[in-house]
Amino acid sequence: MNKAKKLLLSKKMIILYWVLGLIAVWEVIASIVAVTKRSPENVLPHIYQVIASVFSNTMAGPTKTITQIVISNAGMTLWRAAVGFLIGMAVGYILALLMSLFKTVEKVAFPYLMIIQMIPILGIAPIILAITKDIDASRIIIAAILTFYPVSTNVLAGFKSVQQEKLDLMFSLAAKRKDVYMKLMVPASMPYFFTGLKIAAPMAITASILVDTLQGGGGLGCMLSQSLKHAMSIYVFWQIAFLSAIVGILSFCLMGVIEKILSPQRKAKL
Amino acid sequence: MKTKKINKNMVTNILYPVIFGAIILILCQTQIMHKILGTDVFTLPLPSRIIEIISENIPKIMVNVKATLIVSVGGLIIGSLLGYLLAIIATVFPKGGAGGLSVAAAFNAIPIVVIAPIFNNLTKGISSDASFRSMIAKTLVVTVFCMASMSINAYRGLNELPPFSVDLLKSYAAGNFTIFKKLRLPNSIPYIFIALRVTVPGCIISGVVCEYFAEYVIGVGRQIRENIVTAQYATAWAYITVACIMGIIMYIILLIAENVLLKGRKS
Repeated sequence: MNKAKKLLLSKKMIILYWVLGLIAVWEVIASIVAVTKRSPENVLPHIYQVIASVFSNTMAGPTKTITQIVISNAGMTLWRAAVGFLIGMAVGYILALLMSLFKTVEKVAFPYLMIIQMIPILGIAPIILAITKDIDASRIIIAAILTFYPVSTNVLAGFKSVQQEKLDLMFSLAAKRKDVYMKLMVPASMPYFFTGLKIAAPMAITASILVDTLQGGGGLGCMLSQSLKHAMSIYVFWQIAFLSAIVGILSFCLMGVIEKILSPQRKAKL
Repeated sequence: MKTKKINKNMVTNILYPVIFGAIILILCQTQIMHKILGTDVFTLPLPSRIIEIISENIPKIMVNVKATLIVSVGGLIIGSLLGYLLAIIATVFPKGGAGGLSVAAAFNAIPIVVIAPIFNNLTKGISSDASFRSMIAKTLVVTVFCMASMSINAYRGLNELPPFSVDLLKSYAAGNFTIFKKLRLPNSIPYIFIALRVTVPGCIISGVVCEYFAEYVIGVGRQIRENIVTAQYATAWAYITVACIMGIIMYIILLIAENVLLKGRKS
């Protein structure tokens, strides 16, 4: 009895209750919408309708069903987001290292990191397109730009969080600069690094979808805007909505899993 | 001697970025940058041209700035208050609340591109005035974004207390409300600013992104999109600059507020 109660009140179950609650709210609104609106599926369909559309064989394009369209485009978008994410991660880490090694670099680069964050991504897209002459490359670069800011600021904060006593100890042992970084600074900054990655992963996906909307050539964003303009079934939009929400959350969780594997001694926080 | 050193430090703090910015601007203006990047004046307009456009169109730009600011700041305020309220509720009911916050954190991971059209459609019935209802939709999206970030950070601030401080207050026979007022609330204030450092620039960006999908054509973000679609890159850049300036000004206001409110707290 007690065990069952414990299970029902465990953290995972409570999250499940909340998700069920949210689904209930969605369904209530959807029921209201279904009665009051002329085309309820444009505003808010029932969740079962969306799920049914995943398995239906209705043709949305000339050759493909709704699900096939969504999956093939999701592959493209997520691939670009992943490549951009990895590039941004590497560049962001290197920049944080440089900022920590040379005070001048930090002074020059840090304010501009803030400003890069504030440039609307759709705005830079055409410029990067003009430079790279390839829409896919520019989509990857934009995902990289968005990844790189949270990674580098968090890693830098991680480097700075190292206690002075530990640094003093390293110096008193006449440690080389390389050793100070390898043995102290880099391990100490790992939790911060992963915090950065957790912020960056959903952002890379968002950026990738958003830049898709700007030009054709395939990708979730393209399909999303076409679907909203009623050029194809509206369920394409709803499937993309659910898929990207799930992928966004999964990407966040994935970073947590990787963190646990790489540094199991640390307890993962919220 | 010491004050002099601090002054030198502050001067380089400002001077280095300014020099760097000036070099970039000069490279753009003299079109050396265009050669390096292999682009032309059409896609990457000269800085002087951007400034010219901004100064020529100030009244029109201000209309759009105002629309974006109402959405962003409105969403920021409502979202932050709601987020803090959520954090308080989660603190009062720790069992169910913490799980709820995990769900709120998940909301942060949902791409804004998807939330924006949903809210747009949902609010269609609210008013017959397209400008009003699209403003409500945009504000709601910004609210969701700010709420998630604020609730997580405020919850940490309300609960990551100095060790034994709750026990100490309890040994003084302090009630839960007194503990909240004297301990949790002051403890959470730095965490509020951590959240705001993310949400203040974020609210402008998410406001701008929402406008791409909004029904009513107004706002800095919409102007960027319209001008890019019609290949008016110089005008688009003018609006991009304006959006950056808005974000920077909001951030500076936040830093000043933080300095004033957290005076003497920082180590």
